[in-house]
Amino acid sequence: MLIDQLDLRRAISGDERALQRLWSQHAPHIDAVVGRLCGDPELAADISQEVWMQIFRALPSYRGDSQFGTWAHRIAVNRTLNALRKIRRIAKLEVDIEDDSALVEPDTDRTFIAESIEQAMTRLSPGARAVFVLHDIEGYTHGEIGAELGITSGGSKSQLFKARAKLRKLLAHLVDESTSVAGKAHVAPV
Amino acid sequence: MSHLSEDRFDQLVSAERARDGATLNSWETIARRAREEGLIRESHPKRWTGSPWLRAAAAVVILAGGISIGRWSFAASDLSSAGQPSPSAPVASATPASFSTVEEAWATLDRASADYQSASAFLAANNNQAPGVNDSLSMYRARLAALEQLMNATVTARENAPRDPVINQYYLAALGAREATAQQLGAVRPASNLRLKGF
Repeated sequence: MLIDQLDLRRAISGDERALQRLWSQHAPHIDAVVGRLCGDPELAADISQEVWMQIFRALPSYRGDSQFGTWAHRIAVNRTLNALRKIRRIAKLEVDIEDDSALVEPDTDRTFIAESIEQAMTRLSPGARAVFVLHDIEGYTHGEIGAELGITSGGSKSQLFKARAKLRKLLAHLVDESTSVAGKAHVAPV
Repeated sequence: MSHLSEDRFDQLVSAERARDGATLNSWETIARRAREEGLIRESHPKRWTGSPWLRAAAAVVILAGGISIGRWSFAASDLSSAGQPSPSAPVASATPASFSTVEEAWATLDRASADYQSASAFLAANNNQAPGVNDSLSMYRARLAALEQLMNATVTARENAPRDPVINQYYLAALGAREATAQQLGAVRPASNLRLKGF
């Protein structure tokens, strides 16, 4: 989405209306990224505030080399991951890479039925969720993810594999339902 | 335990990718934080609570600015007859004018310039409710002093941004208003007593 240069100058100078326009245009996407990475709505709301303050602070450095949304998205991902590191939610990532934590099923998972992929993602470990969101949702390469999270490209691939396997398991009932419905539809009347 | 098929899972991922959620905070929350951090400039609705003379001078600048720019720019244009007031043009209109070309707008601005100058001259000569000579002197002096400040500011600004149209607009406006004020002051006081800096 192109940003009006005059609006940008106004936003940099602290014009509330210009800042609000920027926020209104980009918050739905930026906040969605933050929400997916956090997996916790309350935490995501707090981090989103930090993200937007950082975007506003950094406005003078926006040169227009990329689209504003792309530029702001990068800030959102970096800021969110930094915040998650600070609260030690992602500190286990390196450990997660080495073990099968993404495949470990706590007892609660046995009764947990995810209604959506968004809900299922909340059952992933922070590291696995970050890799899955960045790769499958946001389109980052494993190299980029490795750089962001401080892990190897191979570690990112491994984590993604585990995350996808767990999500498919958590969402298995969806295929069961569709299969059963399809099955019924194919039953020939007696 | 069964798994969702890869294809079905990819469909869900694709749908999730396209989904933009609701915002996590209201604008009021974001704005409050931004205000606390000084990222939102506080508005000053009562900006003109200072000198009424400065306010008057600013009003003159705004009006004379358009006039000056119109006269300055339009002098270079090919519309040689535009400087004459149009007999059919109203002196004042309650409805805003609309224009289809830049030339048309400049022509209107130049007509307004001529009308403004004529009206100012008429009022200076005939307005019985105008303040006395001493009041006029002090008023014009105060206006001239304020315009001097504006001139100094715009001259400095032009050194940094000589091609900035907004800066140039204010420079020309201040220049035109100062010239008009000097003439008005000259009408109530001998010109030899005036000391204009840098005019």
